[in-house]
Amino acid sequence: MSKGARLGRLTAETDADVRKEHQIGLPAIFAAFFWLGVTSFGGNTAAWLYHQLVGRRHWIDDREFLSGVALGRIVPGSGGVNLTVLVGQRLRGGAGAVAAVVALLSGPLVIVLAFAAAYTRIGWSPAVHAILDGIAAAAIGLTFATGLKLLPSGSARLGPLAVTLATVLCVGVLRWPMLPVIFCLAPVSIGLALVRGRNA
Amino acid sequence: MPDDIRTLLSLVLVFVPLSLLSIGGGASLLADMEHQSVTVQGWTTAREFADLFAISRAAPGPGTMLSALIGWKAAGWAGAVTATAALYLPSSLVVYGAARLWGRWRGSLWHAAVERGLAPIAAGLILSGGIAVLRISPGGPAVWGAAIVATVLLLRWPRLHPLILFAAGGGLFGLAAGMGR
Repeated sequence: MSKGARLGRLTAETDADVRKEHQIGLPAIFAAFFWLGVTSFGGNTAAWLYHQLVGRRHWIDDREFLSGVALGRIVPGSGGVNLTVLVGQRLRGGAGAVAAVVALLSGPLVIVLAFAAAYTRIGWSPAVHAILDGIAAAAIGLTFATGLKLLPSGSARLGPLAVTLATVLCVGVLRWPMLPVIFCLAPVSIGLALVRGRNA
Repeated sequence: MPDDIRTLLSLVLVFVPLSLLSIGGGASLLADMEHQSVTVQGWTTAREFADLFAISRAAPGPGTMLSALIGWKAAGWAGAVTATAALYLPSSLVVYGAARLWGRWRGSLWHAAVERGLAPIAAGLILSGGIAVLRISPGGPAVWGAAIVATVLLLRWPRLHPLILFAAGGGLFGLAAGMGR
């Protein structure tokens, strides 16, 4: 609560770069992110966010989503929460960011405590573990499908595609630390984008 | 100072630095949390911490709800809310500041180039995230297989609602476990 009040007062009036034309209401933002929080299993908040806010509601576009994912990983904190702050800010400034984060976290907070209470009282059967594994597998499928759908497309996509492959190889397969990999690949990739922009 | 207020204060003092140091993923964060809550503060035993970690992975939500559970063990509901806010508020303020700064240059040539340049890296990070979760999943080859099937289904039928797939995955795995016994 103090979080909401403080952030809101500091920033609500000063946001100039928020879209004025079709502004999305705070209740709608809260509802969307609450639903996102309670349904994002297996740490795939980004994939769910893409499915619901980009694919269904068209609140932001592919490029805004992807730059949010990248920026959210470079700064401290959880990638999913950071992406939520970025999208909330983009949609409705400081108030949007607060509504989105509080909504995203409040549902899982209650659920995880309920789980903990149930666990200490009755313990867990192997069947519960199996069900959770099954849900996790489907959630990972959503993550992969989202990543594959967002692969670079269009003409002159070979360079960007090589950058994506290098990222997957270094971070996903070889498990190198993510930050140095991003800081090595980003200048190359941005340079490629500049060259392409000039030719286009 | 009453004891419960002191506990809440030490939750803040433990989780705020973790919030700002947790750059680039949760693995080091987890080790730090374990050290603090088991060895330094004595909020949980090692066994309890392992249980709480398993519970936090089962619940939905973004990453580290483990902080809420540790706070809950230390100081009940107030502890859970305090620990969650302490872990997420500082990093959220940093990213909010970054977003404001970033938005100021919207429309400039290099802003567009940076966005286009980051896009292929972000796609790679999303795929890497899937691989990372798969790797720490305790379910073994069955989970790998089911994840691949789910990927193919979602790409083939984009209108398929993921929640249906989640329910099917949970149901099938639950049934298989029930029959295996």
